[in-house]
Parts: sequence; structure tokens; C-alpha cells
Amino acid sequence: MGKYMLRRLVRSMITLFLVVFIVFSLLRLMPIEGYFPNYEKLTVEQIEAGLKNMGLLDPLPIQFFRYVKDMLHGDLGYSRTYMANVLVTDILKQKIPISMKFGLSTLFLALLISIPLSLAMASHKGKLIDRIGTLFLVILQAVPYAVYLLLIQAIGTEKLHIKMLYHANDVTTWILPIVSMSLGNIAFYTTWLRRYLIEEEKKDYVILAKVKGVSSKRILKKHMLKNAIVPMIQYLPNSIFNTIIGSIYVESLYSIPGMGGLLVQVIQRQDNSMVQAVVVLFAITGILGVLLGDILLCLIDPRVKLNSKGGV
Amino acid sequence: MPENILTIENLTVDFTVRNALLHVLRGVSLEVIKGESLVIVGESGCGKSVLLKSILGLLEQNAKIVAGRILYRGNNLTSFQSEKDYQKIRGHEIAMILQDPMTSLNPLLTIGYQIEEAIAIHQPLRKVKRKEEVIRLLTEVGMKDPRKTRHYYPHECSGGMRQRVVIAIALACKPNILLCDEPTTALDVTIQEQVLNLLIHLQHKYQLTVVFITHDFGVVAKVADRVAVMYAGEIIEVGTSNDIFLDARHPYTWSLLASQPALYVPGEELIYLGGTLPNPQEEIQGDAFAPRNPWALERDFIYAPPYFKLSDTHQVKSWLMEKRAPKVEPPRIIKEYYQLENWRF
Repeated sequence: MGKYMLRRLVRSMITLFLVVFIVFSLLRLMPIEGYFPNYEKLTVEQIEAGLKNMGLLDPLPIQFFRYVKDMLHGDLGYSRTYMANVLVTDILKQKIPISMKFGLSTLFLALLISIPLSLAMASHKGKLIDRIGTLFLVILQAVPYAVYLLLIQAIGTEKLHIKMLYHANDVTTWILPIVSMSLGNIAFYTTWLRRYLIEEEKKDYVILAKVKGVSSKRILKKHMLKNAIVPMIQYLPNSIFNTIIGSIYVESLYSIPGMGGLLVQVIQRQDNSMVQAVVVLFAITGILGVLLGDILLCLIDPRVKLNSKGGV
Repeated sequence: MPENILTIENLTVDFTVRNALLHVLRGVSLEVIKGESLVIVGESGCGKSVLLKSILGLLEQNAKIVAGRILYRGNNLTSFQSEKDYQKIRGHEIAMILQDPMTSLNPLLTIGYQIEEAIAIHQPLRKVKRKEEVIRLLTEVGMKDPRKTRHYYPHECSGGMRQRVVIAIALACKPNILLCDEPTTALDVTIQEQVLNLLIHLQHKYQLTVVFITHDFGVVAKVADRVAVMYAGEIIEVGTSNDIFLDARHPYTWSLLASQPALYVPGEELIYLGGTLPNPQEEIQGDAFAPRNPWALERDFIYAPPYFKLSDTHQVKSWLMEKRAPKVEPPRIIKEYYQLENWRF
């Protein structure tokens, strides 16, 4: 496994390097307005001096080398137009924890509800609880996201009198965004888990477990659930990392200063160093997510061996 | 006096498939004698597996026991309502070996764990003792190096090894009756022989009552004390091994026996039974086998035959056994083979 892991890591590093290189190259093609918060007011000489100051007139290979070196030291440069002359890392340091806080609570809540719900639905397939559950899932998936987001906001603030706008120190203001973000996840996880559980139920090993005299509860939890989770476990690290990206709708609806929509904003503002940083960050989370997903799969399913063959 | 350990009376099972009612078991009556090995033989689709499954309450949701009783030690198993009721008899009283060892073990748990799970349910042993018991059972079923192999996952074992593990699981439950649903069909021939020998050995050692289903007369000849022949959801002939192999009376039993390639000289044309099983959706008028029976009588198509008792052990469900029926002779190939000194395949 060690040898394979090493190879996987090297390959991931190569992928990451390519992403960094491509993003860097593309951004050199961007207009230089993005390097100055007050571009219109500057004279040609001032611009020239500014660019020189930032090292942007050096040959590209030197710039790239410096960029990579700085990045390895945790220096992602300064934001210019999004927030004038603030360290990119400082901006991200503020925003990432907020988005992750919501993302992780969302994921936790979704799994907390999905697992027992799907177990209950699968073990009572076709019965009342399964039908009500299915109706609930279908509604969640069929109704556009925005509709129930607004519905939750309306009910939460009008009927339950929960404060609408996010406040870091007021936990009650976290409830509505977390609930809103969870619903989609709940629908997703429950639908698939229920489906996989029902698939497992027909398998011979379940019959053999019954024949052994194992109780239905134990069969469900010890035998079927583990097997049903196998097809999904690979994607779990990715969903955890994706929480960094944040939710663009929910965050703007509740004025949460998180990562949601940050990429769009910095592209609109042509803040080159911010775009660079955010894209690379997303690439890292994606690559790391896939890597950890494979490791997790290999830990839970002994049939999957980490040996010669593998992706990314 | 032989004691019945399990008595099945008029067991009738219907399946509902897309609003159609299928009559899969149409009144099966069968007695299982303590300590014997009873083999139920019949072609695919005759209801053998359904019969075994209904004993342990393993029928799918669309199946329903509409009539009949299954009596085990004063309990009527067909009156069981919940999984909880069945848990009382599953394993410790009646255990089962499934057909396909490739799928009957949980792929994510080690074989040792899966055996230990059965021990934990049925034997009051401490954890350390349970581990010893796992090793003892694995040795018992002929696994090499059990201290190491108990940590294997099913995918690391061959088909034969897996079926040995399934047998070890059954033994771990300490059952009285062992149901075997074609336990060797999915294995290749040399392994079949080993697994059968193992089952026979364990049956004697642990004094198990074994109910075996198969469509392979070679297997029947090897393991059976008594044989029940099944056709279209009914038992049509039942008798001791000698009754069936040396004095079969039902034309269907003849055709099953006659279809054994082992009886023929190479190059000789095999006799086979034409036609198909009756459609399980239709009510059957008269004898279910009549349309395929070359010796069918007129009344076969009108009245279902009763069981005719030829001896204490041998019963046949065919009008040909009636006093007034014409005398019929079994096919040539079967008569020839009656003459053979050693009638075992």
C-alpha cells in the first residue's frame, strides 16, 4: 500500500502543478487593471512603476518560479481590487472557517438524518413510513432549490421569529442556513442509501445471516449498512472538502461572509491574485478529496486493493 | 420406532407476481425422520427451494403460505408471524447451507468474524473461547491453517473454501436439522465430491438430520437415506433410497433416472423428458404430470391421484398404482440398470 500511496501522491502533485501552471499562465493574459484598485486615476508612469514594483515586468519563468516559491511559503500575494492591498491569505483565513462551519454542520446534520431515515425506509419498504419518506424526498428533489430556500426563510423569520441575518455570536442565526443547506443533502443521501440498502436486502449473505439467527436490527446495521455505504464512501471526503467552497445562495440570502460566490466576485473585479489563489485552493480540495476517498474506500472494503492500478 | 423431527402437512405457497397468482407449492406433505438424510429431487422450478425457504421463514414478501402446517417440536412454524418468532428456530434448531458460496458470505467481514457471530448467538462462550471454537470449526471443515485463514475475507477464499466456511457457520449454530439448498451445484466436480463427503462425515459426527435438495441423481445416490421426488409443487414419489433407485414407480421418477448420462454407453442417444412444467398460474385439473406422461390414463386428466402406499416407506402419487390400472413397465434403460450389481452412480 505504501508504494501505491507514494505513486498516488506524486501523481496528485503533478496534477496540482499543472493546475497551478495553467491558472498562472491564463492570468498573465488578463488585463492589468486587475492589479490596481484605482487604475483610472493613474498615469502611465505610475502604472509602469507599480507593475515593476510587483515584479510583473520580470520574464514569465522568473515570475512563475517566484509565485510557486511564495505559495510554498504560504504567501499568496495581495488582493488589489477585491480588498485593496490585503493579504490573500488573510481574506481566506477569515472566510474559509465560516463556510466550513456551515458546510460541516450541514453534512453532519444530513448524515444524522439520512442514515436512520434510509434504514427505516428500507426496512419498511412499501409500507407507510417508506411512502411518506419517498414523497418527502421527491418533493425536495423536484421543487427548485430557490423555492424552498425562500420558504424556509419566510417560515423561520415570520412564524418562528428567528433573526434573519447571520451573526457570528448568535447561534440561533445559524439554524436557518444550516437547515436550508441540509435539505438537498438529506434528499441525496437518503435516496441513494435507501436504494443501496434495498439492493443489499436481496443478497444471499443477508439470507445466510438470517439463517444464523442474527436479529433483523443487527443484520441491517452490521451487515447491510456497511455494504450499502461502500458505493458512497468514496465521495465523502470530497463532500467534506467541498464545504470550503460554500453555498452561494444560502450565504447571500443570510448575509454570511463566507466563501460562497467569492470566485465569481473576484473574477468580476479582475482581482488576479485572488482568482489565482481561489482556483488553486479549489483544485487542491478536489485532488485531496479524490485521494482520501480512495483511501477510505480501501479501508472499508477489503476487496479493493491499493496496488498497481489507480487513477489521478 | 423412527421419530419424526419435522412434519410438513399440505404446505401450499402462492406467489404474487405482477398481479398474477402463481401456485408454487400445491400441497406438499413430507415427514423428516430424526437422524436421516432426506433428499428432495426435482427439476428447476418445481418448488424445492421454496419448500426449504418456507421452513425458515425466508420467503420473499410476495410469497404467502396459504395453507398447511410445518410442525417442529410441537411448534407450527407456519403460524409464526414475525422475524422474532423465526429467530427462535433459525440456527440453533434448523440451519441452512445456501447454493452459491460465492455470494452467501458478507464480503466486508472476515470469515472468522462471520463464524464467531453465529457462535456468539448460539453458544454461551467467552470471547477467548469463541476464538478457539472458530479455529476448531475451521479445522473441522477441513480448512488448512485456520489460525491464519480465519482472518481471510471471503474474496480471498476459493469457492470450495467458502462453502466450507458456510458449513462451519451452520455447525457453529449447533442445529438439529441442516437444510442444504443444492450446496454443491455451484462448485466444480472435484470440489463437489469433497464437500459432499465432508457433509456426510459431519452428519454422522454431529448426528444431524439433513434435508438436501438437488437435481443431481449422483448426489442423491451418495447422500440419501430417503428420497422425495418433487414435480410442479407436489411430492409425487417418496421412498427409501432403495425404493427409488431399484423400484421407482412414477413415470416422472423414471424419466429423471433415465436422463442420467452415466447410465448410457458413450454415443448412445439420451432419453429425455419432453414438454415443460405446467404454468404455475393455471389451476391444474387432474394429475400435474399427465400432459408429459406417455402412460397417462384418461382419469389422469380429470382427477388428481391420491398417494398409493406400496410399503411402509414407499408412496407414489399416480393412478398407475391403482388396482385396475394397466401394468406399465419402466423404460428399457432403467430395467437394464436395475440389473446392475452396483446401482450407485
